[in-house]
Order: sequence, then C-alpha cells, then structure tokens
Amino acid sequence: MFAALTLLLPFNASALEWHNGDWQMHGFLGQGFTYTDHNQVFGTSRDGSLDFREMGVNASAKLLPNLLVSAQGIYRDTGGSDTLGTRLDFAQVDYSAPLFDSALVLGVRGGRVKVPFGLYNDTRDVLWTRPTVLLPQSIYFDTLALRQAMISADGGLLYGRYTYGEHRLNLEFMVAQPQDNTGGGPAFLTNIPNAQGELGGRPMFIGRALYEWMGGRGRLMFSVVDLDRDFHSSSPTTPSGNIKVMYPLFSGQYNAERWSLTAEYGWIDSQRSNTLPTLTKNPSENFYVQGEYRITSDISGVLRYDVFHLDRDDRDGKALSQLTGLPSHRFYARDLTVGARWKFARNFLLAADYHYINGTAWLNDKDNPDLMNGGGTSDWSLFTMMLSFRF
Amino acid sequence: MRQPNGFCFTHFPVMACLVDRTLQLFVPTLFRLQRALLLSVFILLPNTTLQAGGLKPVLVDSNGQAKHYSLETVREIFFMRLGSWPDGSPIHVFVLPDNHPLHVRFAKEILGVYPFQLRSAWDRIVYSGTGVAPTTVETPEEMQMRIKGTPGSIGYMGE
Repeated sequence: MFAALTLLLPFNASALEWHNGDWQMHGFLGQGFTYTDHNQVFGTSRDGSLDFREMGVNASAKLLPNLLVSAQGIYRDTGGSDTLGTRLDFAQVDYSAPLFDSALVLGVRGGRVKVPFGLYNDTRDVLWTRPTVLLPQSIYFDTLALRQAMISADGGLLYGRYTYGEHRLNLEFMVAQPQDNTGGGPAFLTNIPNAQGELGGRPMFIGRALYEWMGGRGRLMFSVVDLDRDFHSSSPTTPSGNIKVMYPLFSGQYNAERWSLTAEYGWIDSQRSNTLPTLTKNPSENFYVQGEYRITSDISGVLRYDVFHLDRDDRDGKALSQLTGLPSHRFYARDLTVGARWKFARNFLLAADYHYINGTAWLNDKDNPDLMNGGGTSDWSLFTMMLSFRF
Repeated sequence: MRQPNGFCFTHFPVMACLVDRTLQLFVPTLFRLQRALLLSVFILLPNTTLQAGGLKPVLVDSNGQAKHYSLETVREIFFMRLGSWPDGSPIHVFVLPDNHPLHVRFAKEILGVYPFQLRSAWDRIVYSGTGVAPTTVETPEEMQMRIKGTPGSIGYMGE
C-alpha cells in the first residue's frame, strides 16, 4: 500500500475537476499504525496494529450556481470497533439563496447529510481536517458504537449565514433519522450487551450556532443533539424501552498566524426508561483544551489535555465501581496528548501522536474482552501514526 | 481568620535566611525568563512574521467589478460560501498553491486571514460535500489567463 502511495506522488492536486471547477472529484486514503503498552485500540495494538484504514471518494456537481449535488463513499476499518467496511457517507442536494447583497444566505440540504456537531465532527474521517491522528475521545468517540450514529443521518437541514463587517453568524438546524441500528448502536444505547432489536421513533434534532470574528480568528460555537429513540426488542429475554439523550457542546477557538488555541466542553445526559438497565442518571463530563503551533506552513505540533468522566458527580468512578463491581478506571479517561504533523508534499501528510492515558472509559470491549470481567490497565500509553494521501 | 502558622514564627530567622538565599539565586534567572517571555510574545503575536513575496496582491475579476465588493463579500467568495454574483451568474474562484508567496500575501493583506484557515475551510466543505474547492493554478500568469477566459471568475495578481 505504501508503494502504491509513493506512485501517486507526482499527482496534481487540482487534476480532477471539469467545467471550471463546477464538477469535482476528491478523495483520501490513509493508513494508520497503532501501538499501546496496555489495552487494545484499533485491533491488537499491543503488538502494533495496522488495522486502521480510512479511504473515501466523493463527487460534487454545481448544476446551477446555487444548486449542489454531492455524494461520498467511505471505506473504514479500525479493528473490532468498525466492521462496517464500505458505506455511503453522504448523498445530498443543497440549495442556497443569497439575499441582501449576499450578506444573508439561506439554504436547505436534504438526503444523507453529515451531522453538524462541534468543531471536528463533519469531516472527522479525513486526517487532513483533524488536529491529531486520534481526535479528542471525550467528545468524538471513535472506538464506541455510538460513532456511526454521529457521522451522518438521513433527513434534512436548514441553514442561514449572515455577515456584518468583521462578524459572521452561521446557524444550522437538522432533523434526521440517525444510523443507530448499525455498528452495535442498539447495544450501546440500551446498555444491554448484544441487544437484539431495532431502534426507531422520533428523528433526532441537532442545532449548531457559530459566531466568527475577523474571518475566523475567533470562533465560538454551540451545538446540541436531542435524541429520543424507542427500542423494539426482537428477543423475549430482552426488554423494550425508550432512550433519551441530550448532548450540548460548547466550542471555542482562537487562530493566530503561528498558533491556535481550541477548547470544547460538553456533557451527555441520557435517560433510559425503567425497563432498560441504567448505570447512572447523572450527566457525563467531556472536555479538552488544545494548543497547536505551526513551525512552518508544513510542520506543526499539538499539545492537548482531554478529559472524560462518565458521571460528573463521580469523577473518580468509585460509586460506579461499587455499583457494578468493575474497576473504577472504567468510568473515566484523562488523556494527555503530544502530536506532530508534516505535509511533506502537497497531497501527502504524515501525522503522529503520543497519548498518556489514565482510565479506560472510552475503550471498547470488542478489542478488549477482558474489560467485561474486571480486566484492563488504568494507566497506559498509546502511540499512533498515519500516512495520508488526498486529492 | 486563619491562625498564624506556628512553624513560621519559631523558625523565622531561618526562613528569612532561606528566602534571601533563594532570591539571590533566582532573581537573575527570573530576569532572563522575563526577557525570553517578552521575546516569545513577539514571536507568537500575529502579524509580526516575515512578509512574503515582493509584489502587492490585488483582486482581479473577469467583469472588473471586484473593487466594488465589501471585504465580507470577498471573504465569503474566497471561503467558497457564495455560489453566485448578485446578478445570479456563477462565481468561479482561482487561487495559487497554499505556499505561493502571492497567495500568502493575498490571504493576509486582502482577506485578513491566514492561508491555513482558507485550506481548512476548503477541506471541510469538500469532504462534507457542502461546497466545491477553488481551482488551483500554478502561476500568476496562468491565473490571469484563466480569469480572462472564464466569465464570472475572480482571483488576484501581483502589482
């Protein structure tokens, strides 16, 4: 695969477009390597795992100046946590109308659309748009079964953009059916291992508001997911029930020429009906603080502290540990990350990060079956590296 | 009120002596640190890095209308968030590669943003299917040629 990648080196970035850019094709191809000293992430990482691949191809066509049709297919493999293989990422029609001398733009998008949430969710499968190989896991779960439901959904989205001098406001509101019946979604949301049945009911609501100052030098964002799903069990031994999830997220970013400072803070408040097992009624706590420094336009470094507490009133996990008999490190994860990125050619990016992690809350039990019976190591290190090509 | 610390009182002469010694050692270091800090603030502050390229960038478009647009409209155009001109005709955007000195100056001096912000916005719309990327040309000469030959196009040149 690396040999194939090097063959693509002289590839021109702007080669795949027609009609002066009205028709375009783009894609990406990334191969990762993961090593952990304890616990497993993306395959058998204790021996060094190459089970981390992401690739995608998309096509966009501007049929009219303000009418855009686009679709993207993705292949992703991350060991036990993603076995879906090839999937349709988005397939959408977007129409927008500029008003008042283009100061206001109103638009509508429908089909399978990307979920607008936080700073990184929209394009999180592409290394080029992530600050590190592994996103802050407190907010962007990559090993848990909630992932596919957060990526894209079938429905529609209304948006508005308003610019006034150095101020810019962007509002999005989405109503869509999440893809929560794939990739272990029912088991994750019901808290029943291997739950047999289907999730349905009300589509999810998502809102996102962004304020930008000076063309994005300062950015403030608020996103919120409102999920209300009914679980219909197909097995006599498993109960049916209802799950409600509210996930607000506050984001802020400051971009200077050499450095960027980013932080996001949110919490997940989930309520399950009495028939479904409930671990805690308290909301979680999810946040990170991140600094990036651009040494040159092609080389940069990043430092981040990322924290996840499953129950914000039980940060050390002691109460939950007593309740479940599982070690307390299952209920929190604090991750100190140092990373570097190098764009060594226009279409090639090499990124690596080292994580020192205290806690195992965001590890999945497919790659770590011993977590189910009290195993797992509370203090561990993770090294991950990825080479990515894009056009 | 907290009670005064007994240890501090009984051992005051020893403490004072220690503090004095410590200060003697640390004050010069502190001054050095302060100088380093001030220096690094200058390095870290925006707008103080090297000026790129010799030519001053100016906005160019096929209709010769560009100078009438407000900064926020030009920004929206180069961030690829506007599909059409006020008369409804399509906009075509041309840019030079990210590291080209004229592109760097255009981003900073005309748009008031950094090239990495443009690239990050383009990557986001391209890989979420919510827009198209600008057309990248390799040289300013090619840019001028493409703008001349493409109705409704916009880019920049050096003066």
